[in-house]
Amino acid sequence: MSGMKRRSLLAGAAGVLAAAPLARPWAQRPTTLRWWYHFDNPTSSPAALVAGFEKAHPDIKVQAESIPWGGGSDYDTRLYTSLIAGNAPDCVMVKFYNLPRLLEMEALEPLDARIAAWSDRADISDDLWKLHLASDGKRYYLPLLYVILYLYIRQDWLAEKGLKAPADFASFLDVAKALTGGDRWGFGLRGGPGGHDHWATFVLGGGAKLIKGGLVTPEALAANRWFIDLYRVHHVFPPSAPADGFVQTIANMKAGRTAMTIHHVGSANEIVAVLGDKITAVPVPRGPQGQGWTSFGDQSNAIFASSKNKEAAWQWITYLSTAQANATIAGLAGQLPVTTTAAKTWSAQPKRFIDASLASLPIAGLMPASPQTTDFTRTVWPQTTQKALLGQIPPDEMMRIFEKHFFG
Amino acid sequence: MKRLRLFLGTELPVLAILLFGLGPWVWMMLTSLRPSAELSQSPIRLIPGSLTLVNHITLLARTSFVENLRDSLIVACGAVVLGLALSLPAAYAFSRFRFPGRRVLRVQFLVVNMFPVVLLILPLFMLLRSFGLLDTYFALIMGHATFTLPFAIWLMTGYIDGLPVELDESAMVDGATQLQVLRLIVLPLAAPGAVAVGLYLFIASWNEYLFALMLAGRRVRTVTVALQMFIGENTIDWGLLTAGGTLVALPAVVLFLFAQKRLVGGLTGGAVKG
Amino acid sequence: MKARAATPWLLLAPALIATLLLVIGPVADTLWLSLHDVVLFRPRVQPFVGLANYLAALHDPAFWGGLWLSVVWVVVAVGLQFGLGLVAALLLNRQFWWRPLARALVIVPWALPSVIIGLVWTWMLDFNLGLVNELGMRLGLLSAPVAWLARPEYALGAVILAVTWQGFPFFCVTLLAGLQAIPRQLYEAAEMDGAGRLHCFRHVTLPGLMPVMATALLLRMIWVANSLDLILVMTGGGPGTATQTLPLYAFLKAWTGADYGYGSALAVMLTLLLLSVVIFYAVRSER
Repeated sequence: MSGMKRRSLLAGAAGVLAAAPLARPWAQRPTTLRWWYHFDNPTSSPAALVAGFEKAHPDIKVQAESIPWGGGSDYDTRLYTSLIAGNAPDCVMVKFYNLPRLLEMEALEPLDARIAAWSDRADISDDLWKLHLASDGKRYYLPLLYVILYLYIRQDWLAEKGLKAPADFASFLDVAKALTGGDRWGFGLRGGPGGHDHWATFVLGGGAKLIKGGLVTPEALAANRWFIDLYRVHHVFPPSAPADGFVQTIANMKAGRTAMTIHHVGSANEIVAVLGDKITAVPVPRGPQGQGWTSFGDQSNAIFASSKNKEAAWQWITYLSTAQANATIAGLAGQLPVTTTAAKTWSAQPKRFIDASLASLPIAGLMPASPQTTDFTRTVWPQTTQKALLGQIPPDEMMRIFEKHFFG
Repeated sequence: MKRLRLFLGTELPVLAILLFGLGPWVWMMLTSLRPSAELSQSPIRLIPGSLTLVNHITLLARTSFVENLRDSLIVACGAVVLGLALSLPAAYAFSRFRFPGRRVLRVQFLVVNMFPVVLLILPLFMLLRSFGLLDTYFALIMGHATFTLPFAIWLMTGYIDGLPVELDESAMVDGATQLQVLRLIVLPLAAPGAVAVGLYLFIASWNEYLFALMLAGRRVRTVTVALQMFIGENTIDWGLLTAGGTLVALPAVVLFLFAQKRLVGGLTGGAVKG
Repeated sequence: MKARAATPWLLLAPALIATLLLVIGPVADTLWLSLHDVVLFRPRVQPFVGLANYLAALHDPAFWGGLWLSVVWVVVAVGLQFGLGLVAALLLNRQFWWRPLARALVIVPWALPSVIIGLVWTWMLDFNLGLVNELGMRLGLLSAPVAWLARPEYALGAVILAVTWQGFPFFCVTLLAGLQAIPRQLYEAAEMDGAGRLHCFRHVTLPGLMPVMATALLLRMIWVANSLDLILVMTGGGPGTATQTLPLYAFLKAWTGADYGYGSALAVMLTLLLLSVVIFYAVRSER
């Protein structure tokens, strides 16, 4: 029936997205604001935050909807479906990787003017502001929370062997080899979806660049070969590494089967609950020329262009990114607050993990703002890397596939 | 001797099948009863060192799991009723009538299940949105009942095919109408099939995730969506997940414990002679 | 049987209307989309490309690889589910005092959501902390733990094991219901002729069960061919592409890759393949 109808629906949805907001004729009635979020802890509820906001803004009601994360794909599928069908919420929690696709859909409301006029803007450091710039030079995201990936390491095992935490790749390999043996492995690699964070530390940190041709330079190929050799030659990852997700890498740390892995404060408390003082964190090791790379895990809010309540949405998302509420939501989400005020007294995780996060800020980066990034992190990276780890393709082939994926 | 033969030939193999069938579920239940520190112990302990109900208490008291169970129950029961109401007459028509286009129609119903649902969800979303049905019980009931129709119709047709036509005919000779035959003769005799199909409909709806995620989720949130909330971006709440996962199998099991009486006796030995 | 010509259509109408509205419509939409270059995040630019997506699939090694895996996946998984389900149904049709309980408990695997099944099996097959390796080592079946899901030669088997576990109760219950429809006199007559158990099974049980069995097999085949949730949870198609069946590939292309037109074309091709199997079946069964 509806081939044509469907196409016009799609086009119509885009039209709605681009259309100018309509003034609400019943402005005196409270505005209902739809906001989508996801927290890791299922018992965390933003109800107190909503209540606090509604008390200060009696004319706005916030309808907070928790959306299952589902490895990111459930959240995204709902997001894109609702956008295409013209049923999107007013504002959402989003990540940087969503930005290029949302931008192409013309789904986002630019926030530059509002940010410039926002009095609490200075409470968020410039380091964070500069990361969220879109490719067209505008800002569509308001920083909310963040994490920075660091290296977890068993300090008790280091002490036993008289070793120091590795600061560069060479010492990383030494430490990993020294701590591998029996049913214990030096490093727990995340070889499943999302594990590109680990790879990037060693390969982008080793000189590869995510620009055209940057993944197939001799330097880049060498760094990747070194990375694959960690598994194929030195056997410092557990045999299950190609299939391990974050659940397995964290569980292996807790169980004392791996000596190191890369993750962030989001898992600090659960690991400390098991390992106590035996576990610590340091910034990820740096490459031979002293350059380094670690993943910046962002969590921001954005307002959709289709929203009829943009001003109310702005009030709500700035509320969440302002000192007190920002600390509360960071606690609920198990991540770090973006405001300097909240960060100063932050103690939801032991200090050594926060220090390792902050010390990593200078080398923290994001995957490029390309529409290809989602497919890369969820499918192309794991499939290709697993093949290389299993010896089905040579490491150089792996890099050529990545180059082709990003730059054609 | 006879007892021993029954044990070796029947009860022991049944036990083996149950061991395979229940093993992972029991393992999950044991996991839900362990203190969280024990979950990451290596080597693993087969028998928990100590038992705790903290996960179950958190699940029932601090999450919306009970409401989600209610929503799932409403949706699944609705899907069973609607699914049987749609499929029984259709199966009867396919089984007892010969009409032009019958074969094409039967195969047409199968097409429903041939298409990967993940690629239908976008058009379905738009459709239900245009009817204003998003996030309602009705949307999920309709969706679940429709997408299980092929199973329901084909299986019911198979069961009704197995019922002797002579019964229908003798009733018609006695002056019963076609619909009376369906209601008075075929329905009672098809009860075992209806139980199997009903159970199928219930379980299919109970376990369905994609529709429940995409077409509902806020006002109506089923347990499958609720369980997914325990799998976060950076952590899986194994305690809550396994506690919920253990509980979620029980309604269907209890249902079948009672419904299975209808499995037997639908066709009594003497029925054909009549 | 004599009846007014309209009667079957009246009986079919509700089911037909529901299907047309909720299924055939969206399927037609997707069919139409498969002829376009649809990128999810470019809703305004969707040029008509004819059969280009289909031709691209024919030249895509991942399509052929996925197709082959799908065939293995369907044949092995449905075969195992059916075999185990049939044995279970025959056993649970016999008389023993705790039969009602056994019948109820056997459906537990089927009554669990796929995501739970996927996670529990992933956990049980875990290299370091999994029950399977632990038991295998204790019983002396394994000399060293195996990374089941990280080895291409085992991963598909591991996922098939999980889907067999999930699906055998379905066959058990449907076949159990089918067994009730076999008139008891047939057994009595066969026994009077001095037939043994095996003879009864071959000449009474199997023919009596045939219609339900064939239908259940056909429907399950279609269902298994399209199911991707267990694979998605357990391996995501990996390691490498060792478990990337055709529907999973279509899903990843359409949503993660945002290439909705291509994903739709893959889905249509899968449907056509299944349809040809079904038509073959329908033609044969009419004979």
